Amino acid sequence: MASSANANNMNAVRETMDVLLEISRLLNTGLDMESLSICVRLCEQGINPEALSSVIKELRKASDSLKASDN
Amino acid sequence: SNSITELLGSLCDSSLTGVSWKRRALGGVSREGVRRTLRKRAYGALLSKLFQEGSPKRFLSVPSATSATPPRNKLLMISFDLRVAGCQDEAERLEEQLGRLSEGAASGLKELDSVLELLVQLTGSAPPPPASF
Repeated sequence: MASSANANNMNAVRETMDVLLEISRLLNTGLDMESLSICVRLCEQGINPEALSSVIKELRKASDSLKASDN
Repeated sequence: SNSITELLGSLCDSSLTGVSWKRRALGGVSREGVRRTLRKRAYGALLSKLFQEGSPKRFLSVPSATSATPPRNKLLMISFDLRVAGCQDEAERLEEQLGRLSEGAASGLKELDSVLELLVQLTGSAPPPPASF
């Protein structure tokens, strides 16, 4: 009984993640499935989404400058 | 690995995809050093947001006047903007996906609205995909 509820929940999460990834792609957020999953878990931990978006933008700036210095 | 510290570390690591480590190692810059710098910047961004908002509570999700509009409504507003800009297909696809999204616990996520708010905040933040011919 419990394992069937667990399986149902896993299916719901998987379906929700697929929809979120598609919305993310349509909005051109730049998140792939890996980073989206991490962000979902951070939100589930109660991190403020606005603060999290600042973190992501900051990390992008840092990695872009690293990649630029590779060229 | 579900602690905030570990998850932020994973987010830093995923942002390093595509960085060339071979050449960097020759320049004496270690992967671990870069990771540390990124983590500092991530926490810096998180904390600066915290102090901008004026209350330590803002580190965690607390409704404010600016977040009073439900994120689903914000997404419908974005869809309207897409239609106005002539992107009918994208607008319809966005509304269709929103319709597929289950509400509350049925989605399997506790904080679905926070995730949608994050996507709203990141809208258009990536370079546009290359045009296909």
